[in-house]
Amino acid sequence: MIESILSLTFLAQVLRMFTPYYLGASAANFSERGGVINIAIEGFKIISAFSYAFFTLSFGNPFLSLILSVIVSLLFSLLYAFLTIKLKINQIVTGVGFNLLMAGTAKFLMMLVYQSSSNTPNFQQIPGLPFVSDIPVIGKVAGDYIIITGFALVFISQYVLFRTRLGLRLRSVGENPEAAETLGVKVRLYKMYGVLVCGALSALGGIWLASNQSSFSDGMIAGRGYIAIAAMIIGKWRPVNIFFACLMFAFFEGLEITLQISGSFLPSQIIQMLPYLITILVLIGFIGKTKPPAADGIPY
Amino acid sequence: MSRKVKANIISITVSLLVTILLTSLLLTVIGRNPIQIYSMLAGEVFGTGYGFGQALFKATPLIICGCGLALCFQASLFNIGAEGQLNVGAFVMSVIAYTFDDYLGLMVMPAAIAGGFAASALWGLIPAYLKIKRGVSEVITTIMMNFIALALVNYLLIEFLAVKSTVRTEKIMEVAFIPKLSEYSSLFQGSSANVTFFFAILLAILMYYVFYRTRFGYEIRSVGLNPVASRYLGVRTNRVILWSFLIGAGLTSFVGINFIFGYKGYYEFGFSNNLGFTSIAVTLLAKNNPIGIIFTALLFGVLDYGGLAVNTAVPKEIMLVFQALVILSILAVDKTVKIYYLKEE
Repeated sequence: MIESILSLTFLAQVLRMFTPYYLGASAANFSERGGVINIAIEGFKIISAFSYAFFTLSFGNPFLSLILSVIVSLLFSLLYAFLTIKLKINQIVTGVGFNLLMAGTAKFLMMLVYQSSSNTPNFQQIPGLPFVSDIPVIGKVAGDYIIITGFALVFISQYVLFRTRLGLRLRSVGENPEAAETLGVKVRLYKMYGVLVCGALSALGGIWLASNQSSFSDGMIAGRGYIAIAAMIIGKWRPVNIFFACLMFAFFEGLEITLQISGSFLPSQIIQMLPYLITILVLIGFIGKTKPPAADGIPY
Repeated sequence: MSRKVKANIISITVSLLVTILLTSLLLTVIGRNPIQIYSMLAGEVFGTGYGFGQALFKATPLIICGCGLALCFQASLFNIGAEGQLNVGAFVMSVIAYTFDDYLGLMVMPAAIAGGFAASALWGLIPAYLKIKRGVSEVITTIMMNFIALALVNYLLIEFLAVKSTVRTEKIMEVAFIPKLSEYSSLFQGSSANVTFFFAILLAILMYYVFYRTRFGYEIRSVGLNPVASRYLGVRTNRVILWSFLIGAGLTSFVGINFIFGYKGYYEFGFSNNLGFTSIAVTLLAKNNPIGIIFTALLFGVLDYGGLAVNTAVPKEIMLVFQALVILSILAVDKTVKIYYLKEE
């Protein structure tokens, strides 16, 4: 039991599972830093995972499919931005609607194209970095483009949010849009940037999950979009803290898988609950205080 | 007719038309004839007693859950947690029902319903408490509580309470079942529609009365519109928030009556099938008005069963897309009407 957790394979697995969490959490963070709540990360992951499956099964080129799926997600993000920023519709209900729309569309198209309500046919995974991905165990982590992107994103998002003009403006829009506008910042434009970055990053997370299991199946995202939001909250909207929160959740997931294989002392449902329970505890205030951007969720 | 009522009618009609248009477009793109699909749907649902009964059966839990959500939404509480609340409630309801039916006989029903209500309400207590005491948004907490609820129920079922190699509880005794509509009229032959449907209608009427004719309803709506002003008017806002959340969450458990007492006789994991989220669409489309909810729930019920009816021509999942488009177009149209017709913003 302990040996299987302390192994390199386990570590590699945790680092792999970390990726879709961090991509999603970072996505949500970019959106919320600009003051737009997006609870549809789950849906964005579903639609982009399905798109990836569809494109790669149709065209066979994984990288082209990746780009096309990100574009699909961006188109949905544009619609989301139009509804929440231009029309100023409540972001929560829009998010609920988007989740239903994207999950429904994926289910419908899967049935229509592949005549299956459960999964698409199998396809090839995105090839890894040459040479690096051939190294045993480590290669599956260090040779994977999206995983590398996920880890690089910790530094990139920290840098962009806190060291660039774009980040400063995005944050000012999320904290105090009136003040930002007085200083000449185009509030709605920056909000849209946030929403679009959110769409692209959550798409990457979905695409990775589909590529990782070589197919798209119904329910495969399994709440990871929501866990990503939870990680963002626990990480207090800070890229580095979010990194640790995602690492913790990835550890839980790795643990769950290992326990299922090796017979468990803890039932898997209890481990599944942990991310959500911890979030509630953080929100109650047991584990430090957490505070969202001041104008988070308020249309401007 | 006041301008506001007119605006509501306009936006509901327009958004339904927009949705039908978009869906027709989608159907045309994939090479189906929309008119043919719609007439197939209508023929099956309105042409056969069985189909109509099934639509009523599907609409019943949507009316019930919609009423619970309306109570929260009227107070501006975004309860996204109905899915979790109703699962906890229905689960407890069935456990009480099959455990005590030997001792209590027919009295087991009110006991089970009360127990289910309490369990769901308790599940709503945590977000309500956090909202009032810590100012934490109920959106996030209710989402988290959904997952905790489903995992917890799943755990209790599989580890302790489920009938071997299933994910359902034991069946309640036969006499405790609620009569099916087909027992009164041969029209509904074979359909699962049961008397719970009328209970749901009564609940909606009661909720309408509460919202628009009682002091509590007035306070709920006033807190929903403007909590600060309400406080100055002497409304105890926190108490209103607490009670609307508790009762609203509690009411969602009543969907278990339709499934457990009216249909299967047990709780089954996954029975809700996103009911808690579909109800959000139903409630929003009805603008949180309980009488409106009866109609929007019937529409969704028709779509739900209608999807099965047209499944041979087009995958039934098209109805999921339709339902999502309804919710997004009502939001968009509503806002546009507000800006250009009511000139509010």
